[in-house]
Amino acid sequence: MSDSHISPYSLNDLKNTTDDALGNYLRGLHFKQDNSKLDFRLAIGYTAVAIAAVTFVADYKLGWDATKNGTAVAVAAYAVLNGIFTYWMYFVEKGLIFEGSREGRKISLASRTKKHTPTYFLTVTSALDKSRELDCPFTTWFTEDGYFVAKPFQQWLASTVDVIGEADVKSAVKDETDSSQVPEVESNGTPSASGADARSKGTKRSKRKG
Amino acid sequence: MFSSLASLQPRQLAAQVLNFALVLSTAFMLWKGLSVFTNSSSPIVVVLSGSMEPAFERGDLLFLWNRGMDTQVGEIVVYNVRGKDIPIVHRVVRRFGGGSAPLQLLTKGDNNAADDTELYARGQDYLERSKDVVGSVVGYVPFVGYVTILLSEYPWLKTAMLGFMALTVVLQRE
Repeated sequence: MSDSHISPYSLNDLKNTTDDALGNYLRGLHFKQDNSKLDFRLAIGYTAVAIAAVTFVADYKLGWDATKNGTAVAVAAYAVLNGIFTYWMYFVEKGLIFEGSREGRKISLASRTKKHTPTYFLTVTSALDKSRELDCPFTTWFTEDGYFVAKPFQQWLASTVDVIGEADVKSAVKDETDSSQVPEVESNGTPSASGADARSKGTKRSKRKG
Repeated sequence: MFSSLASLQPRQLAAQVLNFALVLSTAFMLWKGLSVFTNSSSPIVVVLSGSMEPAFERGDLLFLWNRGMDTQVGEIVVYNVRGKDIPIVHRVVRRFGGGSAPLQLLTKGDNNAADDTELYARGQDYLERSKDVVGSVVGYVPFVGYVTILLSEYPWLKTAMLGFMALTVVLQRE
């Protein structure tokens, strides 16, 4: 992930790289991704393209007069499909970058950026907490040259989103030296979120080196 | 540049390709929609010759309307010579028929000395309004059509433009 770098001045690149990294991270934590919304959008979009392609071929082979009425129907159908596509993209998907579940816990993440503000806004909806928006400056996980560093990003995610913190407890633990972020995770009930107890608990995380 | 594409999940790649496909198909469907609306097989044409000067110059873009079936003398029509695919833009100088009989037209370019009888196919002395005419001119934009003339005279330009568009749309993720 850090072998390629992006321009740290391009908000679009920053957001896309972060979104991709988030997807990779969660899939690595064995979150099962639910692609149904994206699949619906792809289905609608490619159907519309197929209608346009058929219209093109019919017009090319049979000429204008023979295909006039069929073309009118096709144009109307295309307009309807395109409308559904646009509606789906703007109102249903609305910035969605990951939707999935792990061990029965569902999670839905949508991201956005504000113009000229180098901050990542992440809207989390999950089984454990209702929809809320988190934000963090991109500088937390991007170097000055535009290289993405996974660890601080994963730490931020695991410590602020309960469902991710459950899955990746290692990252949910804050380094003692890192005083810039305060862990908010307490609500899942188990004391395993804090480092000291993890060591004493002898759980699967006991492989963790001092 | 392409490494950003390689790191995409297959569905995301499909979504990027879909974006480009939608650009092309929306442009095409808008054109077809205009064709259906105007009832003309080619609702926007470019003037290729100077036979209608000073009204129209080479490179002017003309907008056509094909729902006025009772074409009058003096209207400017675009027609295809039977058997050829070249549209010609000339003025109607004579009408025959109309009413119950099918309407037939004789045309002549403003800048030409003779009428179009020689331009028509062999054995054809007039145009059939319903079959040969693509539409009447209802508006025009000067000079803009030169892009089309360039694209048809240098076909590699078309490929270059399309290729450039494909690159920018597929690689851009917004």
